[in-house]
This record gives sequence, C-alpha cells and structure tokens, in this order.
Amino acid sequence: MAAPLFALLAALILVLEGDQILATRWSPATLATIHLLALGFLTQIMCGALFQMLPVLAGSPVARALLVGRATQILLTLGTLFLCFGLYWGHQGLLVLGGLTLAVCVLLFGWAIGAALRRARGAQYTVMAMRFALIGLFVTLALGLFLIAGLLGAESVRFARSDFARWVDLHLAWGLLGWVGVLVMGVAYQVVPMFHVTPGYPRWLMRSAVPAVVAGLLIATLAMGLGMGVWAGFGLALTGVLVFALVTLDRQHRRERPRVDATLLYWWTAMTSAMLAALLWAWGGRAEPIGVLAFVGVGIALPSGMLFKIMPFLSWFHLQYRQLSGRRFDVRIPHMHAFIPERSALIQFGLYLVSLVLLLLAAIWPELAFSVWLVRLGGLATAGAIGFLWWLQLRCSAQYRSFSRRLA
Amino acid sequence: MSSRITDAFSQDHHRCDHRLAAAESAAKDSDWARMTGAAQDLVEAMERHFEQEESSLFPALSECFPASASPIEVMCSEHAQMRHLFEDLQESVRGQDRSAYLGILETLHFLVQQHNYKEESVLYPLADRALGARAGDFAERMADV
Ligand SMILES: [Fe+2]
Ligand SMILES: [Fe+2]
Repeated sequence: MAAPLFALLAALILVLEGDQILATRWSPATLATIHLLALGFLTQIMCGALFQMLPVLAGSPVARALLVGRATQILLTLGTLFLCFGLYWGHQGLLVLGGLTLAVCVLLFGWAIGAALRRARGAQYTVMAMRFALIGLFVTLALGLFLIAGLLGAESVRFARSDFARWVDLHLAWGLLGWVGVLVMGVAYQVVPMFHVTPGYPRWLMRSAVPAVVAGLLIATLAMGLGMGVWAGFGLALTGVLVFALVTLDRQHRRERPRVDATLLYWWTAMTSAMLAALLWAWGGRAEPIGVLAFVGVGIALPSGMLFKIMPFLSWFHLQYRQLSGRRFDVRIPHMHAFIPERSALIQFGLYLVSLVLLLLAAIWPELAFSVWLVRLGGLATAGAIGFLWWLQLRCSAQYRSFSRRLA
Repeated sequence: MSSRITDAFSQDHHRCDHRLAAAESAAKDSDWARMTGAAQDLVEAMERHFEQEESSLFPALSECFPASASPIEVMCSEHAQMRHLFEDLQESVRGQDRSAYLGILETLHFLVQQHNYKEESVLYPLADRALGARAGDFAERMADV
C-alpha cells in the first residue's frame, strides 16, 4: 500500500523539475525519479508478489514470511528514500547509507525467498524464472553499489571515467531485463492464460526466453569486464524480451473471454511498450524515450493492471470464506466488480494512458519549446492516475472492512 | 506413472472454462435468452464435474490415502462457494441485471481458476498415484459424462 506513494513522489519531481528531467538522463532529478519508480514502486510490489505467490504457486511458503516481509519492506522503503535523496542532492553520506540499506534488504529478501525457491515444486518454468530474477536482482544491486563506489571516487574501483555510462547501462539492463523482465515472464506464464482463458505459452518459448535474457546479460557483463563490445549480449537479451512480448500479444489475441477490461488494456500497453523499448535500444536510440517506455509503459502499467483483479478477488475470497465458516448467510457478499467498478478502472487506465503519451512525446522531442510543459503535464497526469489508483485501492479495502464488520 | 485422472479431469476443467467464456460472450448484446441458456449450460457442466469429484473420485481417494482428507475438505468447501455463485448468477438472470451477471461471472472465473490450479497440481496427481490401476476407471467415467 506504500508503493503508490513512491510513484506519487516521482510524479511530483516530474512536475517540479520538468525542465531538468528529460533533457538528459544524467540529471539528479531523473536519477531520483527512476529509482523512486524502480525501487519504491516496482520492486516493492514485486517483492510483495513473490511472498504471496510462492505458497500458492509452488507449494512453498516463505519461512517467517510476516516478519521477513515486514523487515524487507521497511528496509526497502528507507533504502529507497536514502538513495533517491542522495542522488537528488548529490549527498555522499545518503548515497552510502542508501546503498548499504538496500544491500541488507536484498540479502535478507534473497535469503528468505531463495530458501523457499529451493523447496519449490511444480510450475517449473515460473519457478525457474523466479530463481533467475533473484539472481538478476543481486547483480543489479552489486552493480549499483559498484557505481556508488565509483561516484565517490573509490580508488579500488578502477574503471575509466569514460566507461561510467556503459556501467550504468549494464546496471540498467540487469535491473530492467534481468530482474523485472524475467519475473514478469515467469508470472505471465501463469496469469496470462488464467486471467483471460488464452492458450498456454508454447513450451519452446518458456524453455528459451528467460535463459536467452540471462545468457545475453551474462555475455554483455563478461564483454564489459574484458573491455569488449556489449551489443551481442544485449541483442540476445532484447530478442528474448521481444519474442516474449509478441507471443503474449498473440496469446491474448486468441483469448476466449471476450471482454476488454482495464487489466487487458494494461497488458497490451505494457507489451507494446516493451517491444518498442527493445527495438529502440537495439537501434541505439536515445535513452530518454526508452526510459519512459520501460518505467512508465511497463513498470507502472503491469502492477496497476494486476491490482485491479487481485485486490477485488482477495477481498471477495476472504469475506466469502468467513461467511462460510461463520455460517452467516444473512449477509450478502458483493461480487468483484462491486469492489472496484469496471468503469472506474477504465477511467483510471485512460488517465494513465494520457500520462504515458505526454511523457513519451516530451522524451522524443525534448528540444521543442513546450516539451517542458509536456513533462509537467505528464507528471500531473501520472500523479492523477496513481492517486486515482490509490483511491480505488483504499475504497476497496474500506468496503472489505465494512463487510468484515458485518460478518463479525 | 499414469496421469489419466489428471488429464481427464483437467480436460473437463477446460470444458467448463469454455462455457464460462461463452456465458460472457452471450452478454455482448444483452440477449437474455442466450444469456439464460449459456448460464444454464455453465452451471450444469460444473455441477456434473463436482458430482464426479464429490461422489466418486474424492471418496475413493480419501479411503486409500487418508492424509488427503483435509485438502479434499477445502476443495468441497470451495465447491460450496461456487454453488452460492451459481445461485447469484441465476438470480441475476431472472432479474436481467447485466452488471451483476458479468461481475458474478468474473468472480466465479477467478475462484474456479485458483481452485482448479490446486486440484490439477496437487490432488489429481495424488489420485493418479494412490489409485494406481483403478485410475483409468475414474478417467473414463469423467470423459463419458
Ligand atoms: Fe473441484
Ligand atoms: Fe475439479
């Protein structure tokens, strides 16, 4: 529930620092915004999802899930804030503190989830993807710490200044493709066929997409360490993402449930954004539009789309369970659409789409006189979309509580 | 090891998924005659499936593998939840309440999916192992209905 706050904070920076943000990816405001979204919003939600999904999916609950989950959440929240303000103000102490807090967080999380993943059975390809995603998270963290050390001018980090941007790209690639991308693939193998009754993913894809991404990233990292070009590695990883997105769109095109709901629209947006971002990246396009596509087009879209299904269902499910065990059939539990109305979800998606388009236009043509205003408006629309999403979540839980009281 | 029960019962889950999707498609132009028929088809298909589980497969399984009694109990309580939704669905059809009809189908869909996932990944494979040579009989009976 804290995740939307970080996205709101990121949107606020977009509004306030519109002129800085898209002109260059290296501005402090840009770096802070990206990390607020990547860690505070996306990673927060992804970690929570792993805690929730492992027991259901792989029959493997996380040991002391409540305690570890809470600790991870607090560490992640603090670490994100330290790091982002460190980046924003160029404050070295905060950067170090943020890096260390995040390191403790990822180690704790990795230890708990890693143990559960080792015991996991069933859902073979999803579990494999989750294992690789965890490795992706570790490498992203390690590269991040390495970059902080570089920023602080550590003697032991002997990469030439001219190479700095390439190490940042590597950190970004591991985070976006190795952590986010791989986990999305693993989760999609389960939820895409389930949500809209589509044919399952073909075996060849499940066998090859995640390994292609991870192998590509490893090749790129190795090449980087040896001072060679990274295009072959990145190319392989991006191909994996591209093919996955295409196959996902094809599955959804062949779905049986006819209705186009906000969740489906979010999936289409995310897969289209992922494909465009991969193509631009492979083409050597500018980083700013790629960033908007990846962080807003995929990173905000998928969690939003999933929330619209998961929250109402869990609310309904828990209430129904209590009704059954308490034999309270006098209370009538409302169906899922009463918890989050379909129309509200569609309006929320519309608002989100406006923000994506505005930010994308600004990122493509930063030299235009009014693109500063595009960023500001885009930030405002993002804040509106996230605020509305948050309000729908709050409304859903308020409704849950009110029925829960009536069942007591 | 055979997977005849898993295959046959999972197949029937898919048949029920198709019925649910068809019930949703029927709502496209609010043709209540079609919607009534599609809802009826769905409920009948699912009741037949529950019948096979509750009075044939599950009793046999818990008899030769007593540890399965508690997951079976969970499954049966979810059947009861689904039956409540069937009633709500039929009521929405009688009252020609389209948004309730769609909302209930959506709820039913998610309940069914997580239920089927548990059966297909835990209970059916267990039944295939525990019932050994008799697994074929259950699979055939499922395929016949
Ligand atoms: Fe069942
Ligand atoms: Fe079943």
